[in-house]
Amino acid sequence: MQNIKWVWGYVRKYKLRICVSLIMALVASALSMVSPYVSGVIVDKVIRQGQTGLLVKLSVLIMGAIIAKAIIRFTYQISFEKVSQGAFMTIRESMYKKLQELDFKFFDTTRTGDIMAKMTGDMETVRHFIAWVIYMSFENSVIFLFAVILLFTINWQFTLIMLLVIPFLAWAAIKLASEVRPTFSAIRQQFSRLNSVVQENISGNRVIRAFATEKIEIGKFDRENEAYRQKNMDSANVWSKYLPIIDSLAGTLSLTIIIIGGILAINRQITLGELVTFNSIIWALGNPMKMSGWLINDVQRFNASADKIREFFDTGTSISNAEKPAENDIKGVVEFKNVSFGYESEEVLRSINLKVNPGQTIAIIGPTGSGKSTLVNLICRFYDCCQGEILIDGVNIKDIDLRNLREKIAVAMQDVFLFSDTIEGNIAYGVPDAPYESVKWAAGIADADSFISNLPEGYDTIIGERGVGLSGGQRQRIALARAILKDPSILILDDTTSSVDMETEFEIHKTLRSFYNNKTTFIIAHRIASVKNADNILVLNGGHIIEQGTHEELLKQKGYYYNVYLTQFGDFDAGTVQEVG
Amino acid sequence: MARNKYDIDEELVSVFRLKDLIRLLGYLKPYKLTMAVTVMLMLVASVANLLGPVLVQDAIDNRIPDGDVTGLVVLAGIFAATLVINAVCFKFRVRLMSTIGNNIVKKLREDIFYKLQELPFSYYDSRPHGKILVRVINYVNSLSDLLSNGFINFITDMFTLVCIVAFMLFINVKLTLISLLGLPPLIITIMFIKNIQRRNTQALSMKQSNLNAYIHESICGVKVTQSFAREKQNEGIFHELSTAYRKAWMKFIKSNFILWPIIDTISTGGVVLLYFAGIMWIQDISVGVLIAFVSYIWRFWLPITNMGNFYNAMINAMAYLERIFETIDEKPAIANKPGAAQMPQVKGRVEFKNVGFAYDVEEGNKILDNISFEFGPGSTVALVGPTGAGKSTVINLLSRFYDVQEGEVLIDGINLKDVTLNSIRRQMGVMLQDTFLFSGTVMSNIKYARPEATDEEAIQAAKTVCAHDFIINLKDGYDTEINERGTRLSIGERQLISFARALLADPRILILDEATSSIDTRTELALQNGLQRLLKGRTSFIIAHRLSTIKNADCIMYIDKGSIVERGTHEELLAAKGHYYKLYNSQFSVMKAV
Repeated sequence: MQNIKWVWGYVRKYKLRICVSLIMALVASALSMVSPYVSGVIVDKVIRQGQTGLLVKLSVLIMGAIIAKAIIRFTYQISFEKVSQGAFMTIRESMYKKLQELDFKFFDTTRTGDIMAKMTGDMETVRHFIAWVIYMSFENSVIFLFAVILLFTINWQFTLIMLLVIPFLAWAAIKLASEVRPTFSAIRQQFSRLNSVVQENISGNRVIRAFATEKIEIGKFDRENEAYRQKNMDSANVWSKYLPIIDSLAGTLSLTIIIIGGILAINRQITLGELVTFNSIIWALGNPMKMSGWLINDVQRFNASADKIREFFDTGTSISNAEKPAENDIKGVVEFKNVSFGYESEEVLRSINLKVNPGQTIAIIGPTGSGKSTLVNLICRFYDCCQGEILIDGVNIKDIDLRNLREKIAVAMQDVFLFSDTIEGNIAYGVPDAPYESVKWAAGIADADSFISNLPEGYDTIIGERGVGLSGGQRQRIALARAILKDPSILILDDTTSSVDMETEFEIHKTLRSFYNNKTTFIIAHRIASVKNADNILVLNGGHIIEQGTHEELLKQKGYYYNVYLTQFGDFDAGTVQEVG
Repeated sequence: MARNKYDIDEELVSVFRLKDLIRLLGYLKPYKLTMAVTVMLMLVASVANLLGPVLVQDAIDNRIPDGDVTGLVVLAGIFAATLVINAVCFKFRVRLMSTIGNNIVKKLREDIFYKLQELPFSYYDSRPHGKILVRVINYVNSLSDLLSNGFINFITDMFTLVCIVAFMLFINVKLTLISLLGLPPLIITIMFIKNIQRRNTQALSMKQSNLNAYIHESICGVKVTQSFAREKQNEGIFHELSTAYRKAWMKFIKSNFILWPIIDTISTGGVVLLYFAGIMWIQDISVGVLIAFVSYIWRFWLPITNMGNFYNAMINAMAYLERIFETIDEKPAIANKPGAAQMPQVKGRVEFKNVGFAYDVEEGNKILDNISFEFGPGSTVALVGPTGAGKSTVINLLSRFYDVQEGEVLIDGINLKDVTLNSIRRQMGVMLQDTFLFSGTVMSNIKYARPEATDEEAIQAAKTVCAHDFIINLKDGYDTEINERGTRLSIGERQLISFARALLADPRILILDEATSSIDTRTELALQNGLQRLLKGRTSFIIAHRLSTIKNADCIMYIDKGSIVERGTHEELLAAKGHYYKLYNSQFSVMKAV
């Protein structure tokens, strides 16, 4: 019921349209009675009694009724489709909106295939429900009710006897509903799994080819594919048990007419004429009964899917705007006060304190997994810190409008994601209406302009999803250009140039420096060359800041930084160095 | 090759292809017997069904007026029996049809999925992944109903139709022919609507595909979207795609729905025509015959309406079917030669003989030109050179991700084209720049290429590449569940895990393409020691920017503009004072500027 209430929320605004359509449906049903009736008249009057003069009139009546019915039926069917598409589109778009609001935590733990399953398969079930099930249920209930009322007026005692089948029918319907529901939940769960396996297979195609693990992949797929078949069969086995029962129960109505109606008629407790009328209206009772089984199936299928979609809508976002978010301009003073953070039980950052002013560059260096990326992710509020607070321009970031915050920060993430769009579209991702010159300018700063211009279609080259077809270094430079074009107050470069060769990286940083003289910049890098000009270098290890200071200061400390410096310098043999020097 | 993106419709053939349908029928072939049984069941059921009204009629017309209670009981008994027969037939029919439908859906999905495993990178690179996904999942599912109910109902309807026509002919030939007069206009109308309907269905499937591709990409790229605060624009794009889909749907559904009123009108017209003919024009027909005929004429149109239904479903399915078969028919650019042998245990001699290669032959943009080299087993070879010089291409050819157009690539003296892809790639470990991890535990990812390895071996591999320390610090250690692409792990950590994965696969030839770019200096230093052990006895090719990784190679090849311009050891190349020397020098001056 919850699910129906939920879907009603979307359909409600079409109330009037639905009412009109239903009335039209009733008119059409009435019209469809015309031709069998008139046919009967033709047989009686024209053929038996030879009143051939009536034929033309009656024929016109039949044709008129059928054409009117055709037009009305087509109109209300389309009308129902409009309603369902309208509601369907609203649901889909709210799902999409929700999708974009969910926090990183959700995406860290949810498979893409699962979300895809909700937005395709489950949505299709909901569409079917709105377009078909709702109106079929209504139509059948109305027909059933009319028939019952009609029969009551003719002979209420006999009608009651006929309706004795209802409790049995209800029993079968309830059994069906309760037994079939879990099978549909199982199907859609398996659908989700199948989706995930195929989705990962497609995304991971390079690794699969490289390791020649196609057989393993086929094995995984076969398991899920077979399970999906099995779940569908399990479900078919349930409803193939109950649908024939329901069908037969509806069939007993005729049986009642023969045996009970017959005996009553013989005993003169009911007239033969009444029995004939009963027999001619019996389909209006039987058809809705037969239909009820199929409708229950559809409703339960809908329930299984609607559960999943509603669950998706109910997913909490831990990161959302405060009641009255501050809307001030962001200058770029970033302050960490005793910040700690962990993913579940893994502690990643421990009491970090830090203050950066606009125009300053902070470099972060440290071993793999020391919390460098996490630290910058907290600034963008991709996650919220567990303890302490982060202030920007003296305001707690939890009080700043999320959109405003993120618009003023540009991140070039280490995990470069490019969209299947043109290179220009990718660079202009944050500023879709940026002119070509600006795009080219940003690409120039990221040292990407030259290789892009060398592509046959230049900036109009469509790159595949995730930027396939480009080398790692090229992808990184496009991502960097994308961040630069946004012209942020705070620029975060998270290991953005690791796949670029050393001199290019050095050049990029040199160019960037002139660009970010009034911005706050965070640089995560492994190469000393990239970090040494920073105003403050943080060395992170195990979630702590273990060293900080300028390049010279850190060298003097002879700690972690100094060792890294020596190692990187050690790549150059003393002998050759002298020769070169 | 032009790439496809979310807002570009994929081209489709515009003619209705009967051969797709025939091909689909091929999938039904193994179920001939089951289908025959099902049709039989349906016929029995329909006979039982037809009997019902006759029994009721008999009761009302004869038994009740006669007061024949025993007769009524007999009739009721027979009627109850028809109900039981009907129910039993119903049950088995549904089961058999579900079996057929689900089995074929499964088979069809297997065919398309297995095919996908043979297709090269370029297939995946040239279209949004969401479009491939919907083909395997949603398109195949959409055929389910057509396969299970559609065909069987069609056969039954055909059968019923033939019976009715035969019966009508038996009653009166002239009247039958007049009744059939309704068919030609119906067929003409259907032929006329068909093209519109087909166009609309195709348009719908394309819009659906675009929408799904965009959803898929939005999910994958959501972190970028959020960090660029671009949700509003994306919602706008989504709204456009969604609206385009809705418009396509409404057009599609209109051309679908229009069929019913047409069939209705034509069938009623046919009946009216029959009345006129029977009553006014043909004089030698008895009243009894006419009445009998009139009662059958409606039954004649029912299966035709049903067949119209089937026809609609089929037209709709064709748009999906086409896409599915298109993928199944895709020619893998790289396939095993007929009778290709298994690659024997690789020793590790690698040879390029005058290799020339272009990704796009027609464009003629040669990436590699006349490359030749030979290395013995156990050598470590480093490739250096500017971006786009062709380093990754050399590696792609060596792993036979592409076939060479000129010259040949030999391993242990065997041309790569003469052995099966699988047997060669299995002995080759490639660590790509893109470190894709699968959803599952850390352990299962390390064991990915060798599921039969023991936990100890996997842990040993992790230790060798210095991944052990961070893994045991994860929430559940090696049993920690990671998401696809390994979200939440840093890139450096992912690189270490995929390194362990490559190591455990125990390849004879190891290829590292920028495999350690995101690993910090200290870990890398430790890794070097492990790496030395790893490289021992294997031939390895390394692409890297860091000198420390390159320096110890047996041979360094400097590649520029598709040719090898220098080769030698680190010392030799420095002494030669060429490109490598310059590279070294500039890196050094960067360091020195510190």
